[in-house]
Amino acid sequence: MKRGPKSPMLRFLLRRGLSLAATLFLVITLAFLLIRLAPGGPFASEKQLPPEILASIQRRYHLDESVPRQYLRFLGDLAHGDLGPSYRYQDFSVDELIRDALPPSMTIGALALLLALVGGVSLGTLAALRQNSWLDYTAMALAVVGISVPLFVLGPLFKLGFALRHPWLPTSGWIDDRRGWLTLILPVATLTLPYLAGIARLTRASVLEVLRSDYVRAARAKGLSEPVVVLRHVLRGALLPVLSYLGPACAGILTGTVVVETIFAVPGLGRLSVQAAINRDYTLIMGDVIVFAVLLVLMNFLVDLGYGFLDPRIGHGADAP
Amino acid sequence: MTPMEALPVPAAPDPLPPPVSPAAVAWRRLRGHRMALASLVLLALYALLCLGAPLLPLHPYAEQVLAHENLPPSFQPAGITLLATREAELRQLLAAEQRPASPRERTQLAGLARAVASDPVHRRIYLLGTDALGRDLLSRLLYGGRISILIGLLGTVTAMLLGVALGSIAGYAGGLLDTVIMRGVDILFGLPYLLVVIILMALFGRSVFNLFFAVALLSWLTLCRVVRGQVIGLRHAEFVTAARAMGASPARIVFRHLTPNTLGVIVVFATLMVPEFIMAESFLSFLGLGVSAPLASWGSLVADGAAVMELYPWQLLGPAVAMTGFLFAMNFLGDGLRDALDPQSRRGGVHGR
Repeated sequence: MKRGPKSPMLRFLLRRGLSLAATLFLVITLAFLLIRLAPGGPFASEKQLPPEILASIQRRYHLDESVPRQYLRFLGDLAHGDLGPSYRYQDFSVDELIRDALPPSMTIGALALLLALVGGVSLGTLAALRQNSWLDYTAMALAVVGISVPLFVLGPLFKLGFALRHPWLPTSGWIDDRRGWLTLILPVATLTLPYLAGIARLTRASVLEVLRSDYVRAARAKGLSEPVVVLRHVLRGALLPVLSYLGPACAGILTGTVVVETIFAVPGLGRLSVQAAINRDYTLIMGDVIVFAVLLVLMNFLVDLGYGFLDPRIGHGADAP
Repeated sequence: MTPMEALPVPAAPDPLPPPVSPAAVAWRRLRGHRMALASLVLLALYALLCLGAPLLPLHPYAEQVLAHENLPPSFQPAGITLLATREAELRQLLAAEQRPASPRERTQLAGLARAVASDPVHRRIYLLGTDALGRDLLSRLLYGGRISILIGLLGTVTAMLLGVALGSIAGYAGGLLDTVIMRGVDILFGLPYLLVVIILMALFGRSVFNLFFAVALLSWLTLCRVVRGQVIGLRHAEFVTAARAMGASPARIVFRHLTPNTLGVIVVFATLMVPEFIMAESFLSFLGLGVSAPLASWGSLVADGAAVMELYPWQLLGPAVAMTGFLFAMNFLGDGLRDALDPQSRRGGVHGR
């Protein structure tokens, strides 16, 4: 029965990689079709253009070709990493626009994810170890607030409190010489809180469950110190549910950057996407979808890898049905 | 005396406890959950106020009274607040310029006072203040809540129908059908969800129907996975074998026997889905891709309020508090329901009966 590479790890990587590549391909195709099928071209709602000019514009963007030809051309360009010219920003290619917009979004998103993970796991573990203490109650109250208050309510409230009423932090913009890294604080804090809350709640529940398990009792009976029990034995078992939450959390943070960038006027990918959607800048929308999809797929891949790392029983070698 | 009567009458068995339906068990447990119960009351209040908005004595939510722009919340009639605001402004101006009021300014103020006394529009009371176009925020909040809640409910119902049906079928049928459905779900999961909704809204135009459609389209995925998992766990249960032995068709087995047994999970998911839809709708409206003026939703109200929050903070706080309260209550109710309906923690055999 066994074919292909011998190492189970390698086989797992190959299988997941193939399936993710297929997903990516389908997503791109779907997005392409969706955009081509939509009523009204990118130049339809403009003022009435003379037919010959319209024809020349369409020729420039290859819109006069048949849809299958356009699709093949699009795939070929994509293979070279070329996302085509922007319909709206005439002098820019989609590649350039995305290259400029990606760093702020990645910075905010990565920082938020990291802080949410570290903060949430620590807070949740502490709350579970001191169950029913004031710390536990405070942490869980905070978690409920974080889960219930949407980002776009939290953001303006933060801005009102920390930037407008008390001018402690800048209201908007991105890192520059004058304000340094201060512009980062509010967007990152806004984006972090909901996911920190979710992770803290999950961690608390699962640590409480693991603390009651036999292997933890065994570890304690062996005479291991409490920090060793918690860090090496409890957390390793308790982090599995947190890991499976990370996939949706990454997707949430990706879309969350859209909101946060809009509120705090960060020149990032999220704001670019909304502008592209409003302007019907088709090539730019496609570019954004592809970048978002690649990021999402990569994050899910990492999450899958994490499972095997945390729980050897899940084993990448087992042939799932 | 017949022989039959001579036989000893068997002693009546101990009366069985009256049968308890799963719903009754769940209700009893939910009643013990104080926060969930309080949330239920709060949600009922929201539903009553928002869905009954047309019956309430509200000012029309789209009517603009330009004289009443940006009035703060107050229990006083708008005219009095307006007059007081104008007088205070004038006094401030005069103090700054250190001069008495000019005759023109005086006539203006007197004219306003006369208008306030005579025009019934100035007798309106704005409990939550007004927006930049002089529209009543309370009315907009309730009508906006109608749209938000309606989209939340409609989206949830659609998601439940699609997710439960496809999930049950995939789980029971297995094989090729299962593979096709679940691969489809995987692919849709790979889509950056809200970005797709943004594209749909941008391409197909902004209307409440499109908004609902866009939100419902991709919402059934999680439920489909969960129900499938449940059904796979149940499909070899004895009651399924029994039903099959009695000649039940696959459709009957799935929808009469399997789906009802996953109901607890479905209900919990549904309560947690409503706030998600409301957030998604509000998110789009916040970005300017959702409902368009003069219609309002909680998201668009928050967006409008956020634009002027430095000068008129009540325009942000009102919608923000209303929306957060609803989401809070929904989440607490979901938690309570999860505790009440969790089949694993349910004592007494309900399954397989």
